[in-house]
Amino acid sequence: MSARALWVVLRKELLDAFRDRRMVLVAFLVMPLAVPLVLAGTTALGARKQAQQLESRLQLPVIGAEHAPNLVGWLRQRNVEILPAPPDPDAAVRTQRHDVVLRIGAGYATEWRAGRPAEVEVIFDSSRPLASGATIARVRGLLDGYAQTVGTLRLVARGIHPSVAAPLLIGTRDVATPESRFDLSQQLLPYLLLLLAFIGGMQLAIDATAGERERQSLEPLLATPASRESIISAKILATAVFALTSITVTLLAYRVSFDLMPTGMVDASFELGPAALARLFVVILPVVLLGATVLTALAAFARSYREAQGYLPLLIFLPMVPTLVLMVAPVRTQLWMLAVPFLGQNQLILKILRGEPIGAAEWLVNVGAGLLLVAVAWVIAARLYHREQLAASS
Amino acid sequence: MLRVEGLRKAFHTRTGPVQAVDGVSFEAPDGQITGLLGPNGAGKTTTLRMLYTLMSPDAGRVLVDGADPALEPVRVRSALGVLPDARGIYKRLSARENVAYFGHLHGMDDRLIEARTQRLVETLDMSEFIDRRAEGYSQGQRTKTAIARALVHDPRNVVLDEPTNGLDVMTTRSLRNFLLGLRAEGRCVLLSSHIMQEVAQLCDRIVVIAHGRVVAEGTPDELRASTGCANLEDAFVQAIGSDEGLFA
Repeated sequence: MSARALWVVLRKELLDAFRDRRMVLVAFLVMPLAVPLVLAGTTALGARKQAQQLESRLQLPVIGAEHAPNLVGWLRQRNVEILPAPPDPDAAVRTQRHDVVLRIGAGYATEWRAGRPAEVEVIFDSSRPLASGATIARVRGLLDGYAQTVGTLRLVARGIHPSVAAPLLIGTRDVATPESRFDLSQQLLPYLLLLLAFIGGMQLAIDATAGERERQSLEPLLATPASRESIISAKILATAVFALTSITVTLLAYRVSFDLMPTGMVDASFELGPAALARLFVVILPVVLLGATVLTALAAFARSYREAQGYLPLLIFLPMVPTLVLMVAPVRTQLWMLAVPFLGQNQLILKILRGEPIGAAEWLVNVGAGLLLVAVAWVIAARLYHREQLAASS
Repeated sequence: MLRVEGLRKAFHTRTGPVQAVDGVSFEAPDGQITGLLGPNGAGKTTTLRMLYTLMSPDAGRVLVDGADPALEPVRVRSALGVLPDARGIYKRLSARENVAYFGHLHGMDDRLIEARTQRLVETLDMSEFIDRRAEGYSQGQRTKTAIARALVHDPRNVVLDEPTNGLDVMTTRSLRNFLLGLRAEGRCVLLSSHIMQEVAQLCDRIVVIAHGRVVAEGTPDELRASTGCANLEDAFVQAIGSDEGLFA
């Protein structure tokens, strides 16, 4: 393999790619616009929804409101609009027409007067925590507050100090740093980053091998003194450079989108400083190289441009696997996990976004395993490039 | 000088193995134009591909100026200028950039490439489009670019697979003159064709190939004499026909 031939092919592939207007448009305009839009959009939407659920007038259907006029009146004072009860409260909650329905038992008044616990029932659907979680918590909080107020008054009326019924003083201290208290958009970011890193150079990779063959220029290229190892390495590197440039622009756009968002919409304390960006690049680099190598190998293996593109769904799915696994079964990060492709990078990206330090052993295992995999993929790609069918297809 | 000795090559297809080249031997000396003449599917392209190192033969060997591609692939590729059957050029590069790319791949420096390109632009009459991007080139302009690219490193041996394919009369004419120029410079020129007249007009020596074998070889006069036909086309048909009679 000669460095000179590698450089010649690399330079030509990049020149060729950057002159492809459609490819450049997608990599440097569409992606940098789409990714921050998606992320900022979900963040803003989430923040708005949360604010609405906490501050807006809470609409609460109540069954048997006539049994507890005091409780209902107290709720009304606390920005709750009491709605008439739906005919089938369970169905109303299940179909999401209401987040919560409150049922006041028929025996409420009797129990209340007797000083026994009076029954109220909160009907909700726990399988939709994102949609109705805040509302459920709000209703519970209100009911707890009412119970505590009345309880305290009852104790005082009997001449007992309220602290008798409060043996514990529970204080809480949240150790989350501003960076670690991150929102949905930042949970999506690792996947999007890994996906972009893995297949960001797809078009170039397919074009540089399957396209080159389809346009009949691969055969003359292979007849030059440049070794196939040089040629394939250059094509892989060109793909990686292109993908990395696209990611950089996308990340910068993401960063700028944060500054443009109205304060309060997002956690303004989330910072993607130069140090965090640099660490992100180190994590992503092996994935970029792996993607470029796998894509080039696939393009050499496929009989046509079209066939090469057919592998795309599979490649999109791969980086998703660890994110899905972690969603279903959240686990504590262990060192060996950092060697698993995509899973390891996912964990490290999360750490970087949460502002946690990464140890030398963690870096070594993750980057080392990533580069090892790149080497294996490279050997396979080079073997595929040595097949006689590669150029002489007809 | 090119030498081919007992080349054999089989392909494995779904319907079974196909013996594409079945013991081909010939020589293409310097300062001459040698034509590889044969019908489509006779094994011309496969023979040439083994010559320019794209395929390795199952048996036999190739010598390019005495070097075996199996042992010294880089030396062989440097000594060869190849216009393959596939002659796609890069559409987003100009003809000059296409040619320079191959010059760089042959290890030439910018000054040498520029000087050499200038000469090729003059001989091939490319000045009109040399700095325009190749998107929208005519077939003739594409072929000229591919030829210039193949010859930028000034190779001693030139191999062309069906060079006049798809070219109009005027371009074919100028290509013919260009090849005669290469011969006058003392180079070894080997071209394949299935067009009788082209080979008859241009070549000093003709190697007739059919079903993967050399069925006749010699100067046009020798071919006419050996087949007993006054006209070369009849000699060609006779050579291929008699092949079946003799060997099949």
